[in-house]
Amino acid sequence: MAQYNIEKQLNILDYALSSLWRRRMKSLSVLLVFAAVIFLLASFQMVTQALSDKAKQVLAYTPEITLQKMSAGRQETFPLTYKDQLDGIFGIRRVVPRIWGYYFDEVRLANYTVMGMDTAEMPEGDRLDSALASGKMPSHEESGRVVIGHSIKKGLDLGGRSTFSLFRPDLSLKPFEISGEFSQNTDILTNDLMVMTLDDARDLFAIPAGQVTDLCVYVANPKEIDTIARKISDALPAVRVLTRPQIQKTYQVVFGWRSGFGSICLLAALAAFVILAWDKASGLSPEERREIAILKVLGWETSDLLAVRFWESVIVSGLACILGMTAAYIHVVYFSASLFRPVLMGWSVLRPELHLLPSMAAGDILLILAFTVIPYLAATVIPAWRSATVPADSALGG
Amino acid sequence: MSIRPALVFAILLGLLLVLEAALFVDALSRRKVEATTLTQLEVLTSALGLTDLAVSTEARYTRHPAVSDAVAPFMDHPGAIEHFPTGAFWLPPPR
Amino acid sequence: MLIELSEVSKIYNQGHPNEVRALTDIDLRVEQGSMVCLKGPSGSGKSTLLAIIGCIFPPTSGRAAIAEKQMTRLPDRFLTLHRRETIGFIFQRFNILPELTVLDNITLPLLPLGVSPKERKLRAHALLERFGITHRAQFPAGQISGGELQRVAIARALINNQPILLADEPTAHLDTVLSREFMVIMQQLKEAGKTIVIASHDPLVFEHPAIDRIVTIKDGRIHVP
Repeated sequence: MAQYNIEKQLNILDYALSSLWRRRMKSLSVLLVFAAVIFLLASFQMVTQALSDKAKQVLAYTPEITLQKMSAGRQETFPLTYKDQLDGIFGIRRVVPRIWGYYFDEVRLANYTVMGMDTAEMPEGDRLDSALASGKMPSHEESGRVVIGHSIKKGLDLGGRSTFSLFRPDLSLKPFEISGEFSQNTDILTNDLMVMTLDDARDLFAIPAGQVTDLCVYVANPKEIDTIARKISDALPAVRVLTRPQIQKTYQVVFGWRSGFGSICLLAALAAFVILAWDKASGLSPEERREIAILKVLGWETSDLLAVRFWESVIVSGLACILGMTAAYIHVVYFSASLFRPVLMGWSVLRPELHLLPSMAAGDILLILAFTVIPYLAATVIPAWRSATVPADSALGG
Repeated sequence: MSIRPALVFAILLGLLLVLEAALFVDALSRRKVEATTLTQLEVLTSALGLTDLAVSTEARYTRHPAVSDAVAPFMDHPGAIEHFPTGAFWLPPPR
Repeated sequence: MLIELSEVSKIYNQGHPNEVRALTDIDLRVEQGSMVCLKGPSGSGKSTLLAIIGCIFPPTSGRAAIAEKQMTRLPDRFLTLHRRETIGFIFQRFNILPELTVLDNITLPLLPLGVSPKERKLRAHALLERFGITHRAQFPAGQISGGELQRVAIARALINNQPILLADEPTAHLDTVLSREFMVIMQQLKEAGKTIVIASHDPLVFEHPAIDRIVTIKDGRIHVP
């Protein structure tokens, strides 16, 4: 009996395959369009997932508390003396002053991220040299020396030279010498980065002596981050206090919103496709009616006819899903999601090389299946019940 | 002797499976490389106190949205609406 | 008696305004190994009668026993199962699927029976050989001649070795030569023990010597002159 059922289903599968093959132009175009929709949807999901995974891994090491001064709704520099007011708060391990700014290069039309700080004071600061492709970090006293990201190096087009100049606000030139270069592997963080000493950064941006833009605060016990943040907030009411959990949460919200937005756009495309499939599947052409009537008279049950349609849909949507997802994976991993680069990167002039490696968990695959194959099956198999309404005797007479 | 269509289909699926397996094996080796890069990235974030990925750098508030704020886009012009493409995808923090 | 109908009536759309009475009180008995011709103008109800004999739908009232099975109260599914074991159909214009090969057309009734491809081929080739069209096995059915098409249609009706053969106006679209050839094959099948019912108003059919009985249908009743 089992043997009979298997052989019967195989026969019906054969028939479904050969009828797909008979209409191969139509089947192939449906397959390709469907695969393309799945490709877009899956690529998007993979890029988002890979980026947010990377962000999550990396953000676990951001400063525990960041302090900034807000004035009239804008961020302002503040005197280093603020640091002294934190002395009384118990539980703070260290406070590192920093100047974080953006330098707009009018020749290359690119934004550089400039950081002035003494990296030796930071956690892991002594290991920073190991993350450089060449050279070393400038020490606190080494004025005029910078470490730059890969894209800046490329953009400056230095040739063999290791010196370049940037404009101060009064258009006088400030010379720099490259003391090190970030590795291309870390482009996703360091692509537009330029790290120098605090004094150099003040000089470049014409910030008065003793002023900084942020303070990075590290605490002894990570469980007390929120308590200490509240105490800082009380001690320095003019200061905005950002904690690591807040930044992480923000990221989740940003990524969630972003991927949700993109997914909705792409799901709309999918919905359009499914509606089209429904429309195509729900009307029976005269040829199809004739075929159904003949098969019924020849002893095919209605369930057999439904099984043919079911197999056709499973084959088309299953193949489209496999092809679309595989293509998406290849696109993201081997072509750095080049189709989505313009959207992700916006108008940036400095674009990092994306080395993305999405981890395709069973859950992600099931999610894509649920949003693609199942609607397609529903849209094509349910209208096939109409074949049950074709009377067998319409094959007679006439 | 012609082979039955179901068998042809099974062979096709088998070939796809081989492709998937090849991708999987490649992914394993890529994951190893990824792990060494990751330690570098961790050192960088710790030592420089970075807060964001350098994915979009066209405006200062898109490079580091986490340390920017909701009014950042309006700093250039009071009536300005956020007009950068990535801004549509990367919101400044809600707080 | 292989076919036994008594007081069979068929009413389409019963209880609706568009109710149509297609057959009234039909009594018909056909013995095994005989050949019967249902004669009558189009619209007389002979197609409906053929459909009842062919287990396509049950009669509205009366009793119909086909191959010793009462089918009056059988649900559709059992009609189908019974039909594929007992009835072979030859349609008007033959109703061959033109995109399928000759071989695939002939073996269509075997697919839902779970017959393996090897067995299907074996059975089909026996029939192809019998009708002399083995060389056409892999041709699309749309590309073969009318005479070959006719033999393909007959082969398909025999593929499951059904005891009863039903033909619905088989010669309506054939020339005299092919019509004669059709009747020759029918005669051979009758001599081989098949029970055959042909609905036709073609003299070439009902005047053929192999026909045992002519049943004239007029306005849904058996007409006795």
